Amino acid sequence: MAQIFRKSANNIAKISMISVVLLAGVGFYTWTQLARSSYLTGQYLEIQQPVQFSHKHHVGDDGIDCRYCHQTVETTASAGMPSTQTCMNCHSQLWADAPYLEPIRASFRDNKPIQWNRVHDLPEYVYFNHSIHIAKGVGCSTCHGPVDKMPTVYEENTLQMEWCIQCHREPEKFIRPKSEVFNMAYRADDTDQATRDQLKVDYKIRSREMLTSCSTCHR
Amino acid sequence: MSLNKRTERRIKLRIALILAAVCGLLLTEACGVRSDMQDQPRYKAYKQSDFFTDKRASRDHPEGTVARGQLDENKAFYTGKIDNPDPNAQAATSTDANGNTVVASFPNAITEFPLPVTKELIDRGEERYKIYCMVCHGQFGDGDGMVVRRGFPQPPTYHDDRLRNAPVGHFFDVITNGWGKMNPYGYQVQPADRWAIVAYIRTLQLSRNPEANLKMTSSANSNTTSATDPAKPAAPAANTATTKGGAK
Repeated sequence: MAQIFRKSANNIAKISMISVVLLAGVGFYTWTQLARSSYLTGQYLEIQQPVQFSHKHHVGDDGIDCRYCHQTVETTASAGMPSTQTCMNCHSQLWADAPYLEPIRASFRDNKPIQWNRVHDLPEYVYFNHSIHIAKGVGCSTCHGPVDKMPTVYEENTLQMEWCIQCHREPEKFIRPKSEVFNMAYRADDTDQATRDQLKVDYKIRSREMLTSCSTCHR
Repeated sequence: MSLNKRTERRIKLRIALILAAVCGLLLTEACGVRSDMQDQPRYKAYKQSDFFTDKRASRDHPEGTVARGQLDENKAFYTGKIDNPDPNAQAATSTDANGNTVVASFPNAITEFPLPVTKELIDRGEERYKIYCMVCHGQFGDGDGMVVRRGFPQPPTYHDDRLRNAPVGHFFDVITNGWGKMNPYGYQVQPADRWAIVAYIRTLQLSRNPEANLKMTSSANSNTTSATDPAKPAAPAANTATTKGGAK
């Protein structure tokens, strides 16, 4: 019986074995990076809204507190979207004739809610509650970024589990004094590590085991 | 010794199929295909509903119903008003220097806080004031907030005799129902927080006019006897200011 393989097949076999491993590695790496890319997570993607609302103007220039509009952030799971009446508190007088505020006036006139487009969309198998994060000293800007500098709001973070879990593992690296939670000018190093370690104790933040337990977020 | 060509081809085909399936799986994963777990058929806050005609999943109370715990029986606490013995008593109005129509007499407003006035209440009031009121009324109640600087009609200052003598119930009523160009804030600020804000407004007034014997007393708590001492309610505000300054 004749030989099936020529001698050169040895080289082909070696090269193909190595390249299968290499290709699998490269493929896996590409996949992980693709899944994290802003193209797929929507990170940094500016979401357009029915009204050209600028957080930069209202928060940055006018200094309006987050809670003026997002009233329920300290007490409920949802931060709360302002009713049209909240807009009208000022815009019944200011820019009351501006054409680009017509959707607001129409909403107020016809008693129909404005359909804002969601920027932060967590998967629904995640149990998330704003109020507990506020109560334990997680600042708005820790997750939402410099909203006071965003004319159009985008996701500052990926909202992927690996992002959530880094803070659930080491909350003492991210928390701040409760008095600074709504302060957009606060920087992470405004409080030193020793103080933050103490805050973790004072605010009764649970252990790493509890915070990273599956049922903390998936229930 | 060796497999025949047909078996060999079949095995190769199988490997190729498995490889293709794995590649396909990875690709769909990478493309972020959303499954039903991610968008479950249930309502989250502010979600759109195709069931109701106004498309809102969050519903209002049906008209004429009262939710548990929201009967609001304590009229003084929830409205800042009491029934005046004289049923014909009407609030008189006058026109101030800015041309605003202002209240000059307060026949129904309660004159004493319906809850204990404590340092915690005033601190809470300061925090809430700075969220909801400061934008127009200014940091110290002069009516020069940022929104006013942008062109909103100027509200009256807290630091004149008319408002220094106004009963606490009047402030509560204005926060709840609005007045003039000011919209109602009752839906934005809870009743207890409204009283906290009133307590803080009183503190602001005292800070400019420490001699005034303003009524900071609380009918509900006779222990806060020191509250009648005008120097005492101003003290927490001074303390807060110091701590704030020290922290920065």
